[in-house]
This record gives sequence, structure tokens and C-alpha cells, in this order.
Amino acid sequence: MLKEILLHIISNLKSQKYLMNKSYSVSKTAASLSILAAGFCYCQKCDLQFEGQILDLHDDSPISLAVVRVLDNDQTAFTDYNGFFKLKNQCSGKINLKISHLNCEDLYQELNLNKSVFKKFYLEHHIESLNEVIVEESKIKELSSTAHNYLLSGLQKDRYSGSGLAKALEQISGVNILTTGNVISKPMIHGMFGSRVGIIYDGVQIENQQWGQDHAPNIDQNAFEEILLVKGAGVLKYSGDTPGGVIVLENKLPKINDSLYGKSILSGISNGRGLNIVSSWTKSYSNGNYFKAQAMIKRIGDFSAPKYILSNSGTNENNISLSFGKNKILRQWKTNFSYFSQEIGILRSSHIGNVNDLVYAIDLAKPTIIKPFDHQIDLPKQVNKHYTTGIQYSKRYKSNGKLNAKYSWQRNNRKEYDVRRGELKNKPAIDITLNTHDLLSNYQWEKSNWSLDSGVFFQIQDNYSNPDTGTRRLIPDYLKTELGTYFTAGLTPSNNFSLGFGFRFSHQNNHTKKYYKNKRWNEGNYQDKLGAFVINEVLNQKLVEQRLIFNNLSINTGVKFALSNRLNLSLNLFHTERAPDIAEMFSDGLHHSLATIEYGNPFLRSETTQKFLVNFEKEIGNFTYNISPYLTNGQNYIIIEPTGIEYTIRGSFPVWEYRAVNSTIRGVDLDFSFSLNNSIKLRNSSSWIEGFERTSKAPLINIPPFTSTNFIQFSIPKFKSFFMIVSNKITLNQNQFPNHNFETSVVENGVRLNKLVDISTPPRSYHLFGAELHWGPYPFFSDKVSLSLIFENIFNSSYRNYLNRLRYYADEQGRNMMLQIKISH
Amino acid sequence: MFKNLHTKPITALFLFILIFACSKDEDPVPANEEEVITLVTLEVSKVGSSEIIKYNFEVEGHDHDDHEEEKDDDHDGEHTEIELEANSSYNVSMFIYNDTDPNNIENITLEVIEEKDEHQIFYAITDELSGFSIKSASDDTLDSNGNPLFNKTTWTTTGETSGDVVGYLIHEPTSKTGNTRTDFGGATDFEIEFEVHVKRNFTSHYK
Repeated sequence: MLKEILLHIISNLKSQKYLMNKSYSVSKTAASLSILAAGFCYCQKCDLQFEGQILDLHDDSPISLAVVRVLDNDQTAFTDYNGFFKLKNQCSGKINLKISHLNCEDLYQELNLNKSVFKKFYLEHHIESLNEVIVEESKIKELSSTAHNYLLSGLQKDRYSGSGLAKALEQISGVNILTTGNVISKPMIHGMFGSRVGIIYDGVQIENQQWGQDHAPNIDQNAFEEILLVKGAGVLKYSGDTPGGVIVLENKLPKINDSLYGKSILSGISNGRGLNIVSSWTKSYSNGNYFKAQAMIKRIGDFSAPKYILSNSGTNENNISLSFGKNKILRQWKTNFSYFSQEIGILRSSHIGNVNDLVYAIDLAKPTIIKPFDHQIDLPKQVNKHYTTGIQYSKRYKSNGKLNAKYSWQRNNRKEYDVRRGELKNKPAIDITLNTHDLLSNYQWEKSNWSLDSGVFFQIQDNYSNPDTGTRRLIPDYLKTELGTYFTAGLTPSNNFSLGFGFRFSHQNNHTKKYYKNKRWNEGNYQDKLGAFVINEVLNQKLVEQRLIFNNLSINTGVKFALSNRLNLSLNLFHTERAPDIAEMFSDGLHHSLATIEYGNPFLRSETTQKFLVNFEKEIGNFTYNISPYLTNGQNYIIIEPTGIEYTIRGSFPVWEYRAVNSTIRGVDLDFSFSLNNSIKLRNSSSWIEGFERTSKAPLINIPPFTSTNFIQFSIPKFKSFFMIVSNKITLNQNQFPNHNFETSVVENGVRLNKLVDISTPPRSYHLFGAELHWGPYPFFSDKVSLSLIFENIFNSSYRNYLNRLRYYADEQGRNMMLQIKISH
Repeated sequence: MFKNLHTKPITALFLFILIFACSKDEDPVPANEEEVITLVTLEVSKVGSSEIIKYNFEVEGHDHDDHEEEKDDDHDGEHTEIELEANSSYNVSMFIYNDTDPNNIENITLEVIEEKDEHQIFYAITDELSGFSIKSASDDTLDSNGNPLFNKTTWTTTGETSGDVVGYLIHEPTSKTGNTRTDFGGATDFEIEFEVHVKRNFTSHYK
């Protein structure tokens, strides 16, 4: 009680600052004292004093002449010039308030009064001018005014909540996944992956050693409400060096009211006997503050192919993300933190010693090591951790301009454990830590028929390879600094025509320090070109310090026409310049799964691509189709290919080196959908692509074969809470592949044989069938519950996937059944 | 009030960046290759004789500057010939080293013997080498199931012949016994070809 009084007195003293009338405050203190006396009585008191202040939600300015009315007893008070009001002689218990003002929407609020209080209320002021803003914010954000934007539906997002980002995106035509085993998967857009595909979270590109084929993006897509995709170059606001496309993960701003809501998804997975739990919660307040928390836990054991267990293919994942912000409509700020932690088992049989082991694995046609199922993750494995934190601020001006500023820090640590000998057993063979700081600021200016966006960005990236691994560094230590600017403009002169243009310039400075082995140094004739940069020599190695500078300019331009009511045509031209990434220039090491030695090429220059993309969209009654052909020409297009054999004491190894070629990639994506009647919908997504070197016409490696997916969706008009999808995916044989086969000499049963190492021939075509049954939502106490039962590879077919790096060792996973319970709180 | 709230963290962040931005000044430490095998030695002695002949097989990672003139020969060491006398028995011991750092040569044989259950040495004899056999020696290392590791072997010759013996060190073999390399599974830690010549009138080091 004493504390209460003290607080009250303090608040009185505070209000003295604002109030001119001193006697008022004296009487208030007296009132407080009377409460002290009354406080010992437990009967209903009707001598409470209810005070408050009414403020504008957007700028905290006081609102004068607002009416505060207690609906229970019809008492009213007006706010003064400083927005203060006072209601005397209130009874304890619940009261209902109505706060109104000429220019504001009425605010109704229930309040439990048991002592004299002082409370702040926020009103929506100047609604008129805001309407426009609110409408603009709530519509789906278009990443590009002329290129086609794909938004993953809520259903698809939830369905793939436990499968990783790449699998969720694979549903879109033209998107494939490049995998290493069952868990590690990277999105591939129009035949490009890794550094050529940007993954943007909260406006910043994720930096997690995305160069490697076996490096999956370290991000939990469940922390984001919207997943958008632009195929082909895309969004200069976020990146200028991603000719493949851009994936954007974003969160919507919570509504400004007092509420708590959330969603939890529980998935039980039969193949791998796994469990995946995702839960996210948002608490928002009427003053615009909000708090979001999200977490995910995943435990999956060894996956199974139809005929055997894929030993050591399980995964564990623990993620958490928190954000806190204030949404004032005209001004917003947000700070966030996230932690991503993942442990991935790598198929035990894929860890081989030399090429002859590879030959044996290919001949055997099943994994060499098959153990009983378990949840244990043994060697080899990857342990990845990704931390992000950042703060952002945006402000909207009366001129319809919006200023955004953001700082973000990402820290990625990747540890790869091999099967090793002796004391090295539990030491990672690769231990790299990547720290990236981004500072961005942009200004958007929007009017009804045009929009401009211009910004500057600055990035510092520091890579550190831990030397205690007992192996040579795969990637050298480097410090990358990038500074740049972009400008994009969209013009919509009429409803059926829009025009877009943009450029992005970046200046990149790579400061690297790399040890070259003398052997490699001599073989590559590096002395002439790099001899001047040697700063130290130790133990048959030369330390070379280089500063590599790249200036890149990327330009996009596009138009979109509505040829008729139901027919849209868009044409986009992207010119993209990409600096070779550190791995392409400097990687140096042995890849155990392919038994290849990989060397970077320190003399690479920026890669340039021109992409022409057409999108043709038509709706005829209940039939819609979307045809999107594209053509990409690359100069200095960086590829990796075998250049020879290196003989080591371990045996022979093919050497793969990076090289720049002129390339052409072309293809077409098709999407059809047709509603047969109210209960049956048909859908098809297909994509065809080919890629080759322009001079030699040799096909490019890892270009996806033709795929076509059919969906039939059934629903029963009587039962609104149930529908079912049956799907069938056809993946044809890839006939266009570069022949990198070679011969190796083996001794089998005393006979020396020359054996062909067939690492090039793609696997046979396959059909996969799946089914999804969805029930709900059903009310469950105050929540809503939905149930889904999902079958993948329903006929348990054995197949291998051309885009799986471990395809030489084992079949893909067999039948999987997943039960999903989704609760909306 | 709102403005003040934001200028402070932003200033703090700039300071933060400045601190982080200047951290790449010292040179990276050279990473030592602790795991690689760079040298395999066969110590051969005729039964009854005390003389030991050492044959060194070294390939990768082996660009000591004094070997510079041999840099074009990738097969360096691969065809070192082992000369044996007909109708004789030899004790052959295998030693495995990492001599990347000449001042700190690591004897990996000890590690392999310690992890005998997870390793296997296998000699594949090509058919050209007729009448030639390799057996586990009496002082060979046995694993916990009594399977010989084959680091100490007895090589027996009969008539004149020549051909290849391929020596393998296999890590985590799926089987500890077998007749050909693929019977063992596992990952190959090294694979070396020894060219063996068995001669009748022997006038070399063995007396």
C-alpha cells in the first residue's frame, strides 16, 4: 500500500511538470492520502480517481478535446491541451470506456479499476491521410512491378514447415533442389544455385557459405510469414549478383491492437521416425509495441530407401527467433535476434578414400554400410550454427516517401566432421566462421502511378578458417568489403501497362591471405602472376596476400502489358554482373563424397549474364495458364570441371578446377490450372531447361531434367472442412550431360583391370506419387485445429536423383507418411 | 523522446562496426596436415639375415625443395622395385609416416596399431607374380577378434617372376578378411603399387 502511495506521489510530481495549476496537484496528493485511509476497507469503493492521457498513436502528440466517457455511469471528461483527463469518484470494479475524438475512430476499452490509476490511451489520428498508407502496407508486397512474383501459400508453407526452405520452393515450376543426401538441399532456380541465388531475410542477404553444393541455407523459414520468389535476376534492391533469382522471406507488421496470437505445427514423420515442432507467437499492444517469438525443434533419425536404411542420414535442428518492435504506422522500428543450429548426418557409405572406392560403390549399387535404424548422428556430419541480429527503423513522410535504415550482423559457423584417425576423430576437418555486417539505407517514394526506390549499402565480411583442424584450409581467411548503391523505378501510366527500370552498382574489395602448396604453385605456374604477392614461406607452402577488386553494374528493365482483360504479357531483361566468390577463386581441398580434389582459379574475372524472360498469362473461364520461356547468355560463366588426375599416396583423384566459359541456358516453365467443377481442380507445373557451353556446345553439368507435376484436388461441397490432393511427379532422364567419365586401374582377384568411373551418366527417369488429406479448421476451446495427413512416394519406388550429389551411393528415400497437427491460437 | 531512443543504438552500432572492421591484420597460421600419410616404408629382411633394406614410397605433399627436379614425375615412387631372391622367405614390416614437417615426423603406424580394429592392411598380389605369397608374420598385430593386421608379414618366393603387389591401408573396413580389395569395404587410406622382382642369381644387397 505504501508503495502504491509513493508511486502515486511520484506520478503526481511528474504530472506537475505538465500542469500549470499547482493547487490541482495539491488536491490530488490529498486525494491519494484519503485513498490510503480507504485502502484498509474491502468494501466497494466509489472514491477512486481515474486519470489518463490521450495520445496520437503515430507521434505521441497529445490529443486535446477528446471525450472520455465511462459507459457504466455516463460520466464524461474532456482532455485538456496536453491530452490529460481526470474522472473522480469512480467505483472499484470493471468499467467500460469510450474514447472519442472528432478526427479519430472511437476506442472502446474495458478496464479493471481497483485503485486510482493513471493510464495512457492511443488514438488513431488523421485517419484520412492514413487510409492510403494502410492499404498500401496490407496488400501483398510486389517485389518487381514487371517480373512475375511467386508467393508461397499458407498451406504450402505449413505443409513444408519441417522440410526446409528448398523443398517448400520446389513446388514452383522452374525451381529444383540440389541435394547432398536427404537433408542438405539448396534451391536451384532456372539451373542456377548457390551464390547465383539470393536468399533475403528481413531485407538482408543471408551469408552462410552458400557457395558449396553441400551447404544448405542456414535459415528457418518458419520464422517468416511470407516466402516470395522472383525467378531470374530479380530484385536489385536486395542483390545484383544473383542471375538465378531471389527468394525473399518477410514478416508482416502486426496489427496495432492488444492481442496475442500464434500458431503451432506438430509433425510426425514416419520415414526417419522424426518429429518436428514449430511454434510462433505474437503479442501486440495498442500503442504499437509488439513482440514475436518463434522456435522450432526437429529430430529425425536415419531415413530409409525402399530396400535399405540410409545409415547416418538423420538430422537435429533447434532454432529460435525473437523480435521486438514498435509500429506507429508512420514510423516503425524493430530489433531481432535469431539462432539456428543444425546437425546433419552424412550418409556413412559416401565417405570414401579414393577413386577405386568410388568404383566399388557404383558397382555395388547399394550402400557399403547398412546398419540398423537409429537416431544417433555419427561421423561424417555437419554442424552448422547461424546467428543473426539487427535493428531497423523506417519513417514515412508526408510527401509519401519512406526512409528505411537497417543494420544487421550475421555470424555463421560451419563445422564438417570426417571419418578420421586417432586423436583427430572428434576434430572437425572444416571449421569456418563467417561474420557479416550489413548497413543499408534506402528511400522509397511512391505516388499512385509511379514509385522510386534508391538506397546505399555497405557490407563487411570476415572469414576465419580455424587452423586447428589438422587439414589444410578449404577456404582461405579473407576480409570482403562491399559498398554500393541502387536505384529502381516503376511506372504505371495506365492500368494495363507498367514499366520498370533499375540498376545496382557495387564495389567489392576482397583481401585474402592464402597458403599455396609448392606443388600446386609449380603445377599452376603461379610464380609469374602471383610471385609478387608472396609474403611468407613455410613448410612447402607460400602465403600469398592479394587484394582483388571487382566493380559490378547490374541493370534490369521490363514491361508488363495487359493485352486484354484476361491476358497479361511481361518482358524482362536482366544484365547481371557477379564477382567470383571466394570458393571459385581459392578453394583448395579434397571432397570425400566424390573423391575429387577441387582447386579454385585465382585469375577469374566477374561473370556477366544477360537474361531475357517472357511471361505470358491467360485466363479463359475456369482455365488459366502461364507460359514463361527464358534465355540466359553468360560470359565468363564460372563452372567447375575435371582437368586431370592427381596421383597421391591415397590413390588417384580427379582434379576439378574452376574455369570461365561462355554459356547459354534456356528453358520454359509452364503452369496450367483447370477447375472441372466445384469439387475437382486440376493443376500442372512443368519445366524444361537446357544449358551448354556456347563454343564447344558441351552441355553444362547439373542442369535439371524435364519435370512435370500434376495435382488433382478434390473437395466435397457438403463438407467444407475437408479436401484432398493427389499428385504425380514425372522426372525424365537427363540426356544432356557433360561426359566426365574416366578410367582407373584396379586389381580385382589378382587381375589388373581398367575400369570406367561413370560419374556422369544421370540416373533413369522416375514417377513419384503423393497424396495429401486436409481436415479443418475445427474450433478447439479458443483455438482452431487443422489436421493433415501427407503421403510422399506412396508406392515406395526406388529411384535416384541426378541433382543429388550422393546419388552414386544410395537410392532416394522411400515412402513417407506425415501427420501434421496445426493449431492456430 | 522517440528520436533519442534510436540515435543511441545507431551510434553504438557504428562503433561496433568500426571495431570489427579492422581485424584482418595478422597473418593466418599455416594449417598443419596432421592426418595425411606422406611416406610408407617397407623394411625387408631375408629370414636368417640381419640386414634390413628399406624401401620408401612417398607421393603427395612431398615437394621438398631437393626433389624439385622430379616434379614432373607424378608417379614418383610408385614403381620403386623390390628385388627378392627365388626360393626364399622375407620378413616385411610396414611403417607409415607423416613427414610433412621434417622436424616432426609422425609415426602413424603406432596409431594404426592402436586402432587395429578399425584398420586393415591388405596386400593384393597380381596373377603375374606366380609362386609368390604373403602371410601374416608371427609378430604381426592381432585385433580384438584375432584377425591379423598385416603390418608384419612374411613374403615367400619360389621361381623367377615379377609383377605388382598393391598395398592398401583400409580405414573402417566392413570385413577384416577377404581375398580382394572389395571384400574389405571401408575407405582407402593409401593404395601403393610395389613392383616385385624375384630373381634366381641374386647378387645385390642380400648375401
